[in-house]
Amino acid sequence: MFDGTRDQTALVRMEGLHKSYGAVKVLQGLDIEMKRGDRVVVIGPSGGGKSTLLRVLMGLEKVDAGNISFGGRPYITVRNGKTVIDTEVRRSIGMVFQHYTLFPHLSVLQNLVLAPCKVNGEGTASAKARAQALLDRFGLGARAGAYPAQLSGGQKQRVAIARALMLDPKLMLFDEVTSALDPELVAEVEQVMLELAAQAMPMVIVTHDMWFARNIASRVIFCAGGVVVEDGPPEQVLGKPIHERTREFINRVFHIRA
Amino acid sequence: MHLDFSILPRFADALAYGLWLTVRLTLICIVTGGALGFLLALARRSGSRLLRAVSTVYVEFFRGTPVLIQLFWIFFCLPILLGVELSSFVSGVIALTLYTGAITSETFRSSLGTVGREQMDACVALGLPARVRITSVILPQALLRATPTLLSNAISLFKESSLVSAVGMADLMFVGQNISNNTARPVEVLTAVALIYFAVAFPLTRAVAVLEGRILRKLAV
Ligand SMILES: Nc1ncnc2c1ncn2[C@@H]1O[C@H](COP(=O)(O)OP(=O)(O)OP(=O)(O)O)[C@@H](O)[C@H]1O
Ligand SMILES: [Mg+2]
Repeated sequence: MFDGTRDQTALVRMEGLHKSYGAVKVLQGLDIEMKRGDRVVVIGPSGGGKSTLLRVLMGLEKVDAGNISFGGRPYITVRNGKTVIDTEVRRSIGMVFQHYTLFPHLSVLQNLVLAPCKVNGEGTASAKARAQALLDRFGLGARAGAYPAQLSGGQKQRVAIARALMLDPKLMLFDEVTSALDPELVAEVEQVMLELAAQAMPMVIVTHDMWFARNIASRVIFCAGGVVVEDGPPEQVLGKPIHERTREFINRVFHIRA
Repeated sequence: MHLDFSILPRFADALAYGLWLTVRLTLICIVTGGALGFLLALARRSGSRLLRAVSTVYVEFFRGTPVLIQLFWIFFCLPILLGVELSSFVSGVIALTLYTGAITSETFRSSLGTVGREQMDACVALGLPARVRITSVILPQALLRATPTLLSNAISLFKESSLVSAVGMADLMFVGQNISNNTARPVEVLTAVALIYFAVAFPLTRAVAVLEGRILRKLAV
């Protein structure tokens, strides 16, 4: 089903990422290499730096040291203590946040076409047609004219995913996109993500939902204290973790859920 | 005491003329003052210390001095310093624009502050360049949020503009005072003038309340 996993060339290579907020060291030498077909789920304790990792990858945060390359091309580097970001590379990455972050003053359709029209110079008619097709696919066809405040959380999050997809990203980042949702709305968002997975969209997903992690991941990374503690297939990391710290974490999370 | 309101219709045209000047002055100055206020708000949030300092001093000065002094200064001192004659309408517009700029800059400053960092993150994640971020995301939301307060600012300006009567501009207040003096019927005339101000301001005050509810609901995301 996931034939994208056969392509083994590196899509993202992160080397020695360091990042601190003042005295708080959040990333402490993070190395992750991601293949083109990978769907990486990042798990780990609260405050462990998962969101920071995604924000760095999205080019939203400066880093203190380390570098990231994307498709073999330098993306983020540190020169003389300054973070240099290749914005062209950044445009091929999409991100969905926990709190939707739709533009509240724009309708659903306008949210979707803003970036394609303003950034890529796409014609309004063609962007709108693509947007409508995406919304139809996500079961939101009838809501194109609605404003974000008129949508449920699950609908908002699906719109946010559609908005990111309008730019044809080569990599999608999801930071706890279902954490703010009522439980009965989680499935509709996860369904959309599983659909993307089926189309071999490379993704990095932060989630606390271990069932979902097991279903969507081709690889699970356990991150704690700003470093990668364990990295492997979901059966290993979620089922029979090698490291004591991972085991503790997994036991605790599953215990809470049980 | 005998009250005779029947004298009023005779002065309807004069009062209408005065009201029209008041309305024009208010409309022009809320637009020019609003634009100035927006720029001042940006300056007060800018990275440059100089811009921040200059704009802060400006705002505090105009908020901290009586409007009447500002009017007198623009009417009588500015022409001397510049060496040019200004029509009284132009002087009135300048004075009230400068004052309204200071007032509305506070309105814009707080509304800009409510557009959260998350909106900025979303803009970056979508690759929107700085110009688009400001014109398509930040500005419309800030304006929308500022609208009820701006309307309140406009209502205040509508009332405070009556001060221009003190420098001889023939606004509603000035016309009313004149009629009152000439007819020796202050109770009838000044009551009517007050009611005219109220008749314009009150519906707008109600509109602010309604608008505020709607906008807050819309932006509650
Ligand atoms: N903008 C910021 N300023 C200061 N400290 C921050 C900032 N953002 C994050 N931190 C700190 O960095 C650390 C890592 O935060 P991060 O949000 O990356 O963790 P996380 O793994 O995503 O946690 P959670 O599971 O709770 O979302 C935390 O100690 C947090 O307090
Ligand atoms: Mg987080």
